[in-house]
Amino acid sequence: MKYLLILIPMALLPLVLNDFWLSQVLTRALIMGTIALSLSFLATYLGVVSFAQVTLAGVAGYAIAYFGPNTVGVGVPLPLIVTIPLALILAMAAGAMMGYIARRSRGIYAIMITLAIGVAFFYFTRQNYVLFNGFTGFSGVIAPALGEGNWGDPKPLYFLSLIVAAICVGLVQGFVRSPLGLAVQAVRDAPGRLLALGIPTTLPIVAAFAFSGLIAGSGGILNVWFQERVSSFSVGFGPIIDILIISVIGGLRHPTGAFVGAIVYVVLDIFAIDLIDRDRFNLLIGIVLLLIIVAAPNGLTQLITDGAKKLRGGAAKSRTT
Amino acid sequence: MPLSDAHNTTANALETQGIGKRFGGFWAVKDVTFSVKPGERRAILGPNGAGKTSLFNILTGDYKASAGSIRLFGEDVTKQSIPKRINRGLRRTYQHAYLFDGLSVRDTLFLAVAGIRGGWRQVLPVRLSDPRRAEAERLAEVAGITQFLDRMVSDLSHGQRRQLEIGIALAEDPKVLLLDEPAAGLSPAERPQLSKLLLSLPKEVTVILIEHDMDIAFQTSESVTVLFNGELMAEGTPDEVMADKDVHQIYVGGAHGH
Ligand SMILES: Nc1ncnc2c1ncn2[C@@H]1O[C@H](COP(=O)(O)OP(=O)(O)OP(=O)(O)O)[C@@H](O)[C@H]1O
Ligand SMILES: [Mg+2]
Repeated sequence: MKYLLILIPMALLPLVLNDFWLSQVLTRALIMGTIALSLSFLATYLGVVSFAQVTLAGVAGYAIAYFGPNTVGVGVPLPLIVTIPLALILAMAAGAMMGYIARRSRGIYAIMITLAIGVAFFYFTRQNYVLFNGFTGFSGVIAPALGEGNWGDPKPLYFLSLIVAAICVGLVQGFVRSPLGLAVQAVRDAPGRLLALGIPTTLPIVAAFAFSGLIAGSGGILNVWFQERVSSFSVGFGPIIDILIISVIGGLRHPTGAFVGAIVYVVLDIFAIDLIDRDRFNLLIGIVLLLIIVAAPNGLTQLITDGAKKLRGGAAKSRTT
Repeated sequence: MPLSDAHNTTANALETQGIGKRFGGFWAVKDVTFSVKPGERRAILGPNGAGKTSLFNILTGDYKASAGSIRLFGEDVTKQSIPKRINRGLRRTYQHAYLFDGLSVRDTLFLAVAGIRGGWRQVLPVRLSDPRRAEAERLAEVAGITQFLDRMVSDLSHGQRRQLEIGIALAEDPKVLLLDEPAAGLSPAERPQLSKLLLSLPKEVTVILIEHDMDIAFQTSESVTVLFNGELMAEGTPDEVMADKDVHQIYVGGAHGH
């Protein structure tokens, strides 16, 4: 219910914000946050840091472009009610495959494997013209029509992203309480013990990655409608690092922290350009990241919740005295 | 042995024939032959490094036996997987608590019930209200940790973790229970409580208990097996075993005793 306290004000924001703020700050943060949520989910509940969540988002994005309207003349347009589920299923299948490949890997090894998958996908999209249209990728990927305009317009896309983000957070919370979600956390804590209970570890691992593909894929679909394009750059090193930074800023222990991280990141990204030039942005974000890691090793979200707890504790104390 | 033997009701609950486990050139367990009758309470004694835990690991399938064979209620399980043996009613606790720190007691017991009932198939349904939940609560009650059901495992005391271990092992109708030093690290106040819990287990359950605490071992067990350097050294009633010269040597005169 406390999420309504966040959702309702956010749903009212379009009344006071102009389109630039809505699109370039909030919608972008919601989309990046959703993709980062898929990473935070894996890190929090499976204990695995994946560098290939952007890849999963990309799979869904490419599916929307290939099976939908685009201006490059590649692909097979299908009806929307087929395209969207298909994109999500492909992202989940890709996630499941990744999970299966990385099923025995933890820590640095899981990072290396997922990074290798991400990089391989990046180069593959550049070289393959039949499915991915090579280097240039797809452009003119317009969101479904909505009245006069389409779902990609600032206000509709903002609402859509907000709803999708809320659904994804809800899905994560539901999943981690389900028997399968409990098994995922058990793999994180003591895989051998789970085996000793007769539950093999591969199933929860593959399921967690597939589920993360669903979340990342949802973000990927929104992203391709937001950008109206998808190319190798959407799945390259840049976005991979961006998503990682967002998750770390938000705190890998808090799935919802991904959105806090995304807002911080996007605001810095936009306003730093006015102050310093584009090339220095990486320096700035690096410094911010460093400060956050030093000041709040568990991310901003932890810092905020701790602060809130302290405030509440203080308030309670002053009430009793 | 003939196959018909598998359902022999007079079969021993557990029976080993010359089992051993080798690590490199070192036999942690060597040529151990022993049997335990259904419903029997057996204590396993032995100094540190005697091979007690390794013996359990062979029995459960955590270790592949390097030699010998194991029968569970007459059925040869030497080559069976861990889940298969669990299915046959074999359960264990771990000497060093090995639990899901990030889960609640409730969820841990739930997973134990689900896993032991049917392995991976049991974690697929997403139903919210669930009879397995009630079973998990019953286990908590038996293990005496009902008031901690919603506590995170990482927040439990050492003694409570031990109780949770036993709760997990009791899930789904165990037939043979292997308890690896359940009293280790318990406070003097907690020990009688553990003895009580062990004595309250259903009569038909066969219990094999590794225990350094002689009081608990002798209070709860009618027979004793002593391991030393991986080999079986003595076997019998507590009185017989304590009268054994070799046993006396390692426990009273020896350097290893606890
Ligand atoms: N996985 C393993 N690899 C190599 N050696 C092992 C392994 N497991 C046990 N050992 C060795 O086998 C011997 C017996 O160990 P085990 O843990 O079975 O003894 P124990 O009787 O349970 O002792 P304790 O009372 O200390 O628990 C020890 O020397 C131990 O180092
Ligand atoms: Mg031991």
